[in-house]
Amino acid sequence: MKNGIKTLLAVAAIGTLALSGCASTMQYGDAGSAKPISTEFGSSDLQQIAESMVDSMISFPPLVELTSSKRPVVSVDKVKNKTMQHIDTESVTDSIRAKLLRSGKFRFIDRTTDAQTIEELKTQQDSGLVDKKSAVQFGQQLGAEFLLTSNFSEIVQKAGSTTDVYYKFTMSLKNLKTGILEWSDEKEIRKVFKRGTFGG
Amino acid sequence: MKQSRKLVLYGMAAAMLLATTGLAGCSTTAGVEATGKTSWNEEGARGLDKKIIFNNSSLAGDIEIVDVKSALVGDVMRVQAALRSKDKDTLPFQYRFDWYDAGGFEINSGAGSWKPLILTGRETKTIQAVAPDPRAKEFKLKIREPDK
Repeated sequence: MKNGIKTLLAVAAIGTLALSGCASTMQYGDAGSAKPISTEFGSSDLQQIAESMVDSMISFPPLVELTSSKRPVVSVDKVKNKTMQHIDTESVTDSIRAKLLRSGKFRFIDRTTDAQTIEELKTQQDSGLVDKKSAVQFGQQLGAEFLLTSNFSEIVQKAGSTTDVYYKFTMSLKNLKTGILEWSDEKEIRKVFKRGTFGG
Repeated sequence: MKQSRKLVLYGMAAAMLLATTGLAGCSTTAGVEATGKTSWNEEGARGLDKKIIFNNSSLAGDIEIVDVKSALVGDVMRVQAALRSKDKDTLPFQYRFDWYDAGGFEINSGAGSWKPLILTGRETKTIQAVAPDPRAKEFKLKIREPDK
C-alpha cells in the first residue's frame, strides 16, 4: 500500500517536471491561428467567414462580368445577429468590405461617417476659411447601386458532456434599383466541445 | 480489498504518465508546402509550374496532394488542390494560401489565416481559394497539423 503511494508521488513529480516546459507563458500569437479555444464565436471563425464570402463574391460569374467593365458602388447593411452571443458584427462586415475594396472590383459607401462628412462640408461652405472654388458642394455624392445584407444565426445543442454549436452566416447582394438579389452565399461552421472526465 | 486499492493506484499512476507524454509536445512544425507559379508557353497558353515540398515526415505519411490546378475567373487567379488522406482515421489539418505577384512579392503580406480541414479516413477533398486581387500570379499552399 505504502509502496503504491510512493510510486504515485514519484510519477506525479516526473509529470510535473515534464510539464514545466509548457507552464504559464506570455507571448505573441499568430493572428491567423485556427486554434479553437471555445465554442463561442472566435477570430478564426470571423476570418473564415470573411474569406469565404469574398472568394465567392469575386468568383461568381455574373459578378465577374459586372465588375469587368466598372466598379459598382455598394453599401453595407448591418448584420442581423440572431445568435445568443454579443458579437461585434461590424468587425465581420469591415473585414469583408476591406477585402472586397482591395480586390479592386467594388467601391463602397460608408454611412457610419456621414455626421463627420456633413460637419466638414458645413465648415467648408460656411466658415469662410475655404476658397469657394475648391469647397465641396452638398449633393454630389454617388448613390449606392447595391446593398450588401447579412444574417448570422446559430444552433446550439447540448447533450451530456458535449456542446455542439453550428453557425451560419448568409450574405446577399441586392440590386437597389430592381430589388433583385444578384448574389448570395452562406458559410457554415461547426464547433464541438467534449468535456473531459478530468477537465474543468 | 487492499489488492484492489493498489490496482487503482497503479492505474492512476499509469494514466498520469500517459497524459504527461501526450502533453509533452507544445509545438507545431511546418508541414507541406505546394507552390504554383503561372507560366506562359511559346504559344502564349497559360500554364502552372508546380512544386510540392514536405517538411514533416509524419505529415507526409498522413496526407498527399493529389492534384493542383489553377484558372482565371475574370482577371483573378483561382486555385484548387485535391488532398487525400493516407490514414484510416479521421485527421484534422490546417491550411492557408499565400499569394505573390509576378515579381515574387507577397500580396497583403501576412494577412492570410489558417483554415481548419477535416479529412475522414482515406478521403479525398478539394480546397479552393481565390487570389485577393488581379496582381497574384503565384500561390503557396501550406498544410500543417493543428496548432496545439
